[in-house]
Amino acid sequence: MAVITVPDGHAHDDGPDQLYVETRELRLQGFLLFLVSDVVLFCSFIFAYLYLRNSGQGWPPAGISRLDVAFAAFNSMVLFGSGCTMHYALENWKHSNFSKYVGCMVATIVLGLMFLGGQGYEYTTLMLKDHVTWGGSGIFGASFFTLTGMHGFHVAVGVIYLSILLLQSVHGTYTKDKYFGLTAGTLYWHFVDVIWVVLFSIFYLI
Amino acid sequence: MATATVHAGGIADHVHPEPQGFVRKYIFSIDHKIIGIQYLITGFVFLVLAGLLAEVIRVQLMHANGGFVSADTYNEVYSIHGSAMVWLVIIPLATGAFGNFVFPLQIGARDVAFPWLNMVSFWLFPPAGLLLFGSFLLGAPAAGWTEYPPMSLQGAPGTSMWCAAIFLVGISSTMTGLNFLVTLIKMRAPGMTFTRMPLFCWAQFATAPMSMIATTALAAALAALFMERQFGVPFFDPTKGGSPVLWQHMFWFYSHPAVYIMILPIFGIISEVFPTFSRKPIFGYKMIAFSSVSIALLSFMVWAHHMFTSGLAPFLQLPFMILTMLIAIPTGIKIFSWVATLWEGKIHYTTAMLFAIGFIATFTFGGITGVFLSAVPFDLHAHGTYFIVAHLHYVLVGGSLMGILSGVYYWYPKMTGRLMNDKLGHWTFWLFFIGFNGTFLPMHMLGLLGMPRRVATYDPQFQTWNQIESIFSFVMTFALLLFFANMLWSLRNGKKAGSNPWGARTLEWQLPSPPHYYNFKHIPTVFSTPYDFAEPLPYAGLEEELTDSPGPAPAVAH
Repeated sequence: MAVITVPDGHAHDDGPDQLYVETRELRLQGFLLFLVSDVVLFCSFIFAYLYLRNSGQGWPPAGISRLDVAFAAFNSMVLFGSGCTMHYALENWKHSNFSKYVGCMVATIVLGLMFLGGQGYEYTTLMLKDHVTWGGSGIFGASFFTLTGMHGFHVAVGVIYLSILLLQSVHGTYTKDKYFGLTAGTLYWHFVDVIWVVLFSIFYLI
Repeated sequence: MATATVHAGGIADHVHPEPQGFVRKYIFSIDHKIIGIQYLITGFVFLVLAGLLAEVIRVQLMHANGGFVSADTYNEVYSIHGSAMVWLVIIPLATGAFGNFVFPLQIGARDVAFPWLNMVSFWLFPPAGLLLFGSFLLGAPAAGWTEYPPMSLQGAPGTSMWCAAIFLVGISSTMTGLNFLVTLIKMRAPGMTFTRMPLFCWAQFATAPMSMIATTALAAALAALFMERQFGVPFFDPTKGGSPVLWQHMFWFYSHPAVYIMILPIFGIISEVFPTFSRKPIFGYKMIAFSSVSIALLSFMVWAHHMFTSGLAPFLQLPFMILTMLIAIPTGIKIFSWVATLWEGKIHYTTAMLFAIGFIATFTFGGITGVFLSAVPFDLHAHGTYFIVAHLHYVLVGGSLMGILSGVYYWYPKMTGRLMNDKLGHWTFWLFFIGFNGTFLPMHMLGLLGMPRRVATYDPQFQTWNQIESIFSFVMTFALLLFFANMLWSLRNGKKAGSNPWGARTLEWQLPSPPHYYNFKHIPTVFSTPYDFAEPLPYAGLEEELTDSPGPAPAVAH
């Protein structure tokens, strides 16, 4: 077949395969857009929370004490620490330091589980000691437990996801050049971190 | 992998082998063309069901005292009618059906970016429909398609099923939007720059991010309503500190963009039909393309114009009013461009063209009443009356549905290889057009006289006009039955279409009808926009598409 020259450049100059096979680039863009739509989900609930909080009933509503900032701050440090170990896990993978990669992944998973444990401790304290519950404490319980619960659910999914990635990479699913799953896992974990920065600020700091 | 041959543009002829079993080929298919047709059929099935509900409404309103169904049933009927028409008919047909079938062909791609995700998107849609119509068994939602609390909080158990149904179809819509967006950005054929894309692709390109972002916001609202109903978690109940207006904000932040999710793809269909049947380049290609994008952007900033009577702060009313009026500008640009395309064109009055011309008339009418309603003082007067019902049916039936019918007549030959009967099509159009206007035009007047919507009985002074409306609505229903009959009859008995019965210039018409499983034997190269009727076709590499030469060698499935 004759070679055709296109007058002003191609729409793409990526490698072959790209019109049918899901390449890394397609997946990356798809995954980023998935994260965007997930951000919108959180934004909607955050909007609902701020709307209800500013509806003139005072905050926290009468009969409910302020949340424990100190403990939550410690728990946040655990989560942000896991963001760092996740970053180093991917870097070590790229540089083929397999044992360091495994160490960082395990650390990330353990820190993620610690965060979930901390959240569980916080929930039980609130429910048993202060009698603040999801359905029974008005808009405070509704917004706090829904939003932090949604975030906790994302962390739990992340822990499972990272565990699967770890098993896959031990099995040899990924190579030095083809490791999109790990990139996606890292992106997801950082996304969960960033959401927590916002939630921590609007629930504990303001 | 070894069979790949790299040719112009550095793109390999890789193809998955075509599935052979019936189930993998037609039921759980990952082929965008089959999925598009699946959406089309499912959407039309729901159109029949929701249309029957509409006729229940019209029969009930034949008499001022009602009497056909009880007031409670009436509430359920119009709630499900509205919900089904929006979420199960117009949105899936406009994006799922035409989007899937047409635009990957038009950009010269072999499929969408994520074929498996596409299949999952489709298969969330029929269960959502079953849930929605199944809610009649438990007592259907009865607070209208908007389901405002506190009424929806007190609604029958079926209201929670409604939440689940809309949530499912919403996820489907989000995934489709994501899939289309990546496809349009990453998978265009060599030379197909953004400003060479057919306008239908631009319309999908503007719609996809809206389905992706706005629908997720609706998912949050639905989840909150579901949690409040099932677990008593207070978001919207004012007696527990919640706010019913919060629902309205969350709902309309989705549902206003949804209005454009329902109309932008239709603008795309019209922009293909007009140049083809006027044999003239489309007027103002770039203006039409960019106005789609600006409508999409504006649509996120106008939601509160649905809430002028809900106690919105006065300082917010003015900006929402002005932003809403601004939408008339890009929309007007489109209307003028289409009319200018017709101007001095060589017009072919095919059925698709008739529906497109009818669309211009009715949609413009509905658009203008929309500008009325954006004005706060007028909205305060007309809110909750039949004027709103008239307005929304002019844009959704006279706009979206007529555009969809036009699109079916236009692309049916590409989907099936046969033409629909044109004479029957002309009858369908005129009956539909007359029936439609006879049904909804008097509603403007009744609304201004103060007839409230969503009420099972009404003041006897409105009875004559209501009877006239009902009779015309039967004409419209009959026209739709003719349309379905034509679709089914032509499947076996229609004239053979050949590859390009309309003399159209976009890429899908340069392929056999129906196209091969892999769409293109060789990915073509594109040199220009498709609409210059005086010029030769701006594609290279299509020589073998209509010959008997074998298609690309299947590679190992990944």
